Amino acid sequence: MKEAFINFKRHAALLGSYFAQYAKVRVSYRGDFFISAATSMTATIFSLGFVFVLFERVPTLANWRMEEVVFLYGFSLIPFGLFNVFSLNLYEFGATYIMEGKFDRVLLRPLSSLFQVVFDAFRIEALQEVVVGGIVVVWAARRLHYHWHLVDIVLLTLFALCGGVIYLSVFLFLSTFSFWFEDRIGIHPPFWNLLAFGRYPLSIYSSYIQFLLSWIIPFGFATFYPASRLLGRPEFRVYAALIPLVAAAAFALAVTAWRVGLRRYSSTGS
Amino acid sequence: MPEAPLISVHALSKHYRSFKRREGILGGLRNLFHREYQTVKAVENINFEIGRGEMVGYIGPNGAGKSTTIKMLTGILVPTSGEMLSNGFVPWRQRTAYVKTIGVVFGQRTQLWWDIAAIESFKLLRRIYDVSQRDYDERMELFNQVLGLTELLDVPVRKLSLGQRMRCDLAAALLHNPPILFLDEPTIGLDVVAKDHIRQFLRAINERYKTTVLLTTHDLDDIEELCRRIMIIDRGTVLYDGPLSRLKEQFLRTKQIKFILRDGDQSARLAAFEHNLPALAPNGDSSAATLRLERLDEMTCRLRFDRARVSSSDLIRQILAAVDVRDFVIEDEPIEEIIKRIYSGEAEMSSYQPVEKDSSPVTR
Repeated sequence: MKEAFINFKRHAALLGSYFAQYAKVRVSYRGDFFISAATSMTATIFSLGFVFVLFERVPTLANWRMEEVVFLYGFSLIPFGLFNVFSLNLYEFGATYIMEGKFDRVLLRPLSSLFQVVFDAFRIEALQEVVVGGIVVVWAARRLHYHWHLVDIVLLTLFALCGGVIYLSVFLFLSTFSFWFEDRIGIHPPFWNLLAFGRYPLSIYSSYIQFLLSWIIPFGFATFYPASRLLGRPEFRVYAALIPLVAAAAFALAVTAWRVGLRRYSSTGS
Repeated sequence: MPEAPLISVHALSKHYRSFKRREGILGGLRNLFHREYQTVKAVENINFEIGRGEMVGYIGPNGAGKSTTIKMLTGILVPTSGEMLSNGFVPWRQRTAYVKTIGVVFGQRTQLWWDIAAIESFKLLRRIYDVSQRDYDERMELFNQVLGLTELLDVPVRKLSLGQRMRCDLAAALLHNPPILFLDEPTIGLDVVAKDHIRQFLRAINERYKTTVLLTTHDLDDIEELCRRIMIIDRGTVLYDGPLSRLKEQFLRTKQIKFILRDGDQSARLAAFEHNLPALAPNGDSSAATLRLERLDEMTCRLRFDRARVSSSDLIRQILAAVDVRDFVIEDEPIEEIIKRIYSGEAEMSSYQPVEKDSSPVTR
């Protein structure tokens, strides 16, 4: 137990060093940071625009008002933005680590392999999603005459962190498939498309899709259930309490898959 | 009492199960549904021990099992069977503790951060390996002296030449002063000067820190200049393990005499000498393996001969009698040739008796 704690402290201390290393890489390409932050922010705002266009045609969506859907959409950007700060290497894991053999180098360093892969690159510009999401949530809340209490802010922060962990777990789990199937692209792309489903009220979907987004790929727990709880909507209230549990379970499952994959890698070398 | 070996490998094997890939689009589709598996024995029952401070050359043709062995020794791969103890660790079982005590350089890949100055990689590695600032400064000073790093440290790694990068990579692998250093093709693609640099450095490190070095290479000059001991592996098994000098002694078959003619007007005399060559061979055996003359250019000739069957002094006397010679060199067959023969199975390995001390399998 003590050893695990020391190990954790060591990794936590090194996280700062890894981030500093990444910052130096970024600084060496000046300008590039602001351009990519600006483009991705534009993309975020455009996709949000779709919600407004939609509500020009329909007054409510599954009994949700426009401001509520905008609140949900805005909230969903926060955990996703947090996750995206670390998502880059998961996305490229199969191509750069397994196929180009960078993973051997990871195993030669006296650190956790997962730590090295996740924290070898950051995408600070993804924080624009957190900022845009925050602004949108505040805007929608004001239109809804929402009264913010301290507990709401604490809950929102907790839910956002749990949501980030859920996204991380899902995509980490998908990345581990690269230990078995050598492929450049990996199996992420269809799941990226699925992300958008979680940004609308789950109640507009068939029960199959609701089940899928809750219990198979739990994006619903990253976005819809927390937003419902924050808005104080009556449906699905019980699910809110499950959010931290789902996040913890998803993460445990993903880490286990990583460990199994690691064993597979070291028995085949590919 | 002899010291316990630093690395001991006993009956180590690594088998892969791979499937035969069919070619083409149709073949690719069939691969999805039906796979024919076959077992590849990448490493099969190898045994060796390496003592502290030894520098060992590990050679073999492509696909012989060198990389697989190195990957097992560095804890990347788990063996199918057998035992291995390195610096007191079972590599794959105690990976993070073990890799702190080894240095690894893969000649084809860098472990430095590509886009930033090499010094930044060194600083981060210092923290990853918990090296104290004092040790770090002391080692960097030595590396600067022997490898001439000073002017390289502030250049982004991607802008370094291959030789410069290799110097940085070596320093990076030794920053934590590991007792064991594994090098996979450390001089591949380097020019003569860069190779020399690397070799000098390895000798210096070995002398100063008693670092044990296991290196794979295709360049036998690396081995001749660095290693007293050589291990030859092919098709997963160790064919030879012992001193380089004994390899030569036991398997050297041909020698060669290179001679340079005094002038270019001796072609008739040379032709006559060549014609008479078979008479010099025992029992008129004139096969090329026994005795063969090649003309390298107008003035230079090379005569290869079986050292067991033809006496060199006889041969020299005959040459001097036949033609007017300005210069002479007698050389051993290049070591490449010996090793090529060992790979092809021509050299009789049955005649090779491992001496107890060098390669006796571990018995417990």
